[in-house]
Amino acid sequence: MAQRRFWSLRPSTVREVADAIFANFLLHWFPARMRASSLAWLPTFWLGTVSWVLFVVLLVSGLPLMVFYIPSVEDAYRTVKDIEHAVSFGWWLRAVHRLAAHLMIISTTLHLVRVFVTGAYKNSTAAKQRREWNWVIGVAMFFATLLLSFTGYLLPWDQLAFWAVTVGTSIVSSAPVAGTVLRETLIGGREIGEATLVRFYLLHIIALPLAVAVLFGYHMWRVRKDGGLAHGDADDERAEVPAIPPVVRRIAVVTMATVLAVTVLAIFIPSPLLEPANPEVTPNPAKAPWYFLWLQEVVTDTTVRIGPVRVNGALVGGVVLPLVLAVVLTLWPWLDRSPAAVAGVSFPRERRVQNAVFLAIALAITALTVVGLMRGPSWGLWWPWESWPPVPTRF
Amino acid sequence: MEPDQPSQPGRRSVLVKLGTAAGVAALAAQGGIVLRSLVANVSYDTPSRVRLGLPGAFPDGLTLVSDARVFVSRQGKRFRVLSAVCTHLGCTVRAEASLRQDPSDPDTRKATQVFELACPCHGSRYRTDGSNLSGPAPGPLPAYRLILAPGDGQLVVDLDEEVAPDVELAVP
Repeated sequence: MAQRRFWSLRPSTVREVADAIFANFLLHWFPARMRASSLAWLPTFWLGTVSWVLFVVLLVSGLPLMVFYIPSVEDAYRTVKDIEHAVSFGWWLRAVHRLAAHLMIISTTLHLVRVFVTGAYKNSTAAKQRREWNWVIGVAMFFATLLLSFTGYLLPWDQLAFWAVTVGTSIVSSAPVAGTVLRETLIGGREIGEATLVRFYLLHIIALPLAVAVLFGYHMWRVRKDGGLAHGDADDERAEVPAIPPVVRRIAVVTMATVLAVTVLAIFIPSPLLEPANPEVTPNPAKAPWYFLWLQEVVTDTTVRIGPVRVNGALVGGVVLPLVLAVVLTLWPWLDRSPAAVAGVSFPRERRVQNAVFLAIALAITALTVVGLMRGPSWGLWWPWESWPPVPTRF
Repeated sequence: MEPDQPSQPGRRSVLVKLGTAAGVAALAAQGGIVLRSLVANVSYDTPSRVRLGLPGAFPDGLTLVSDARVFVSRQGKRFRVLSAVCTHLGCTVRAEASLRQDPSDPDTRKATQVFELACPCHGSRYRTDGSNLSGPAPGPLPAYRLILAPGDGQLVVDLDEEVAPDVELAVP
């Protein structure tokens, strides 16, 4: 009886499935038929769905935080401290928001890696596919996700936030010609202060979430238009099965598992809050957010000195290298000359070299991130189980 | 009516083009104006001329004036001001003292105290005159123009005016 109340739809023919979809707003999002391979758990791991669920968790957990948070130099730290210690379950809400943000970076990164290694941005022989453009939309959403996290990083206005954003925005100013103007436009002056906080706050709560939501709508519409997940062969109705209810059931499982994971993790992983931001004292060590640690390693190691000429590592590692990587990543579907038949195929022989290069770069970024995590005082390296030495005497 | 017919599509297409151009121009103007408004015209940053204090308040050696992010270097009656902002990515450098053994005589137990300026962000190190020692910093820490305020005799630094590292202010 309870089952009938919650899920009364028991379609026995494709016609009944189609009728149910036309009659229901929520079901209207889904196609009547899907390829059985699109419904499989592997090889997609449903990472796109996980990312979207995390985005919704972030929207929902962000709302109560906005009730208490005041984006001003005077009040930001105090209100975050209130959320952490005085608001009922505030610590948990903040932990959910922070963890969902970190997990969303991980899930979107893995989603991007999955799409690349299976060549899912490739059009098959079926007509009217524009999967390469959906890849571009996906890459744009990935960068928007990174920016969402980075803009949120400043808001607690503690030492961690202040210096991570100081370093991050200083990288922008190393760009030739427009660097200084760009940085001053981003932070609203020469120094990080009230103007920066307001700008980052508005980017964080309005501009970037809106951009992600609109891009996501277009992303999913394109997946539908392109005939579901990538597959090398032509459209074949025999490969399809009725999509309702399996797709709804699987999305429900992914949603509940993701929400459950964040809910439980937030109990055990508290959010850090250091001393209030102090522009006069840089903590030792001062680190970028973990997802930019590889960039911090690169900017440290790419300062070039040829005789009297010095090129700042911030320009080489902070601007040129990431820009080249981003442009090549975005344009890759047009550079990939492998046959259409391998679209959606994991690690095919025809894409062996490009997959190897891609994974080598991904591995290098991961390795540099690990090195960044091991940095201690005065940029020395320490194992996680080693305790840091006392900071040398100041005078 | 018939003789007018050929001119009608022409008029219509001109109007369509005019309308489209006006729409695009309006959108471009809106976008441009919004972007321009984000570039600050008024600065509420710390002014570039900062009063550091009376010369007598600074002991011999290096003193960090943290709110101006500069080091005041004093040797007797001669003063210099050195930036405390790392030229790599803008973190505040710290003055550190460490013990160094004489490399030419490794057997000796004697060590001398060495002073260096170190950046906590990416490990750049400078000598106390601002010149580079190691790390990713692309250039030396700049020195700034230092003057005595005519009224109260305080040291005043101009953070917009860099000077050569050997320029000093002699205080009577």
